[in-house]
Amino acid sequence: MGSMDNTAKRLLQRLVRRIPSQMLKTTLDKWSRLTAAQRQSMDYAESKWALTEKLLAICEENELTVKHIAELEMIHVIENPNLGMWYVFQLMDPQDDAHSVELTQFKEQFKSHLSELIRHVSIKIKKHTDEAVWIRIAWGDTFSRPNHLKPTYVVHYLQTPYVFLTSPTSKQKPLLSQALVLSTRYQAIKDANLSGRKLTAIRDLLMKQYLQVFPTKFPSPLAERNCVVSNLHIEKEQAGSAANRHQMACEAFGDGILPQLQSAVYKLETKFRDHTNKTMTERDEPFKCVVKFASTNLLESLRHSASSGVTSTPVTPLLSSVPLKGKNYFVITDNGPGPSSQMKPSQK
Amino acid sequence: MRKWAVLVTQQPPKSKTCKTSGCLHRIKYVQKNKEKDSGNMERAPAKGVLSHLSLLEVQARSRKSQLQQQSRVMELKAKVEALKTQREQLKAQIQTHQDLQKLRLAMEKQCADEEEENMEEESENSKLLRLMARHTQLKDLLHAHHLIGGYDIIKTRKGKGACVSIATAYEDVFLDTFNLEIDLKPTVKINRHNIPPFIPLNNLAEQNNMQTDLRVFLDTLSQHLNAFAGRKQQLKLVKEKHKSVEVMESNVLCSLLVLLFTVPGEKTAVLCTLDYTDHTRCLPTRVHLESEDKQLPDSPQWEKNCSLLMETPVHKALITMKKMGSIV
Repeated sequence: MGSMDNTAKRLLQRLVRRIPSQMLKTTLDKWSRLTAAQRQSMDYAESKWALTEKLLAICEENELTVKHIAELEMIHVIENPNLGMWYVFQLMDPQDDAHSVELTQFKEQFKSHLSELIRHVSIKIKKHTDEAVWIRIAWGDTFSRPNHLKPTYVVHYLQTPYVFLTSPTSKQKPLLSQALVLSTRYQAIKDANLSGRKLTAIRDLLMKQYLQVFPTKFPSPLAERNCVVSNLHIEKEQAGSAANRHQMACEAFGDGILPQLQSAVYKLETKFRDHTNKTMTERDEPFKCVVKFASTNLLESLRHSASSGVTSTPVTPLLSSVPLKGKNYFVITDNGPGPSSQMKPSQK
Repeated sequence: MRKWAVLVTQQPPKSKTCKTSGCLHRIKYVQKNKEKDSGNMERAPAKGVLSHLSLLEVQARSRKSQLQQQSRVMELKAKVEALKTQREQLKAQIQTHQDLQKLRLAMEKQCADEEEENMEEESENSKLLRLMARHTQLKDLLHAHHLIGGYDIIKTRKGKGACVSIATAYEDVFLDTFNLEIDLKPTVKINRHNIPPFIPLNNLAEQNNMQTDLRVFLDTLSQHLNAFAGRKQQLKLVKEKHKSVEVMESNVLCSLLVLLFTVPGEKTAVLCTLDYTDHTRCLPTRVHLESEDKQLPDSPQWEKNCSLLMETPVHKALITMKKMGSIV
């Protein structure tokens, strides 16, 4: 029996299957667990099955374990953060020293706190070039070893209140929350009601890394727009109101390329309001329903619907709250502003 | 819109010099002659009648042109009147402007001398002038503020809100501009902004009483943002211009920088930690040096480097350190 146990083998197989052949070479180079000779011997034109066998043999030769394969997986995920589903959590009430937490301190504290909370856990922490701290956690429990096939990834930028997680289960969440709160020197953590497939998109949204539009006294010159003028008179009639709608749409959502969100969900707990349907309006309880907007790029779709006149302008706060509050899950009740995730319903 | 040509026919006025009656008389005479000679068709005096008709035509035409000339003269006279009125208006505007300037100078002088304000009864006019002078004074002040790289503020939503633009700059280069949209009524509240989350906006708003003293809050915010932009720019320059120095650690707020220096010749490494705990400044509050060679940080050369790093922006300090031969 070599160093590579069943889990390690399965993990490696899964990885080789997932990583496209062209990328495999660069990922293995970054991993730097292979000697030059071993790297030379890999033929990336071969089938995935053949590559897996080859790699397995090399790993046995180098006496690598599941922990090393986990490293390889982490490199791949960091390079491709836009696959999978990410959920955002927000740290609340920073203590006085929260702003001076530095990397070494955070790493030590997180590892020690999480290890105290759960007997068997495997933690790997890596700092990426864009200042993001990546954490890979393989969970075990009192009786079993860490399961490397179902890891949780955590991304955090120090000195910001946001934490990004993949697939947290209900059992793991409280333990993870505790460790995060203690190591970042905050006092609480809550669900930020934002999720998406692309880490870079939700990160850009929260870090305000996209072009926002504000009213200004010294506007920058408009970019030339090549518009084909079909009928001079018709164009001029519409030009004013079209420009106005475009301005309001851009002020609500932003200009240029917007972060790619895939959906916005509104959970309605409001009373039914159609007067032509007496049976429903007579009920006391709220009419519960869920409205979901989905798109390959939700924010751009919303902006386009506002600037083309499909949705009315000024943009309703129900829609503009997505970029404004950095959330895409809302619970709407009749009681007006309640906890932070609630909003007033729009006027009909 | 298509212009419809309006045909205006004018009645020719009865002119005293009209020779119509004479002409008519002559025509009648010609016709009578024609009737007399009705038998003899070859002797019709057609030439006489036609030439008379053409004479009449010419006379009528000259009358028309006279008329046109007259209406043109009236037009021009009206224009002269209009221009005269406009000139008077402009003269009045210039006068008001000059009065305003005088008033502004007087007001500014008054403020400088700290005299007691003139409590005389002022007429409505002079009160209005005073207000207008103050208005132009404030507008110029805001414009000057914008020119020196301070923040801009404009009214939005008919006075219910304001939008502030804070420009950042470092070493004579304009960097990012940050914006805040603020609700002014019923309370002062930040509506939306593009300030990154590691700048503690809500804390600053609370600590500086944004509700009562907006200016102090904006000044502090501007300090934080400019300092952040400055530190970020320094890090960028270190990475670009000093490739021999390795950046071991940094963070999004640029409040911590750990650099790895290589000492020439001896091949020892020095780890330098720069703490920027005062987020309103571009210079570090603490410099810490570590090396495998324990003696090195205490050497006079490196003590000098330490104080250099405390007093000079890091990208410039590195240039000096390279010149002095402390680092590669």
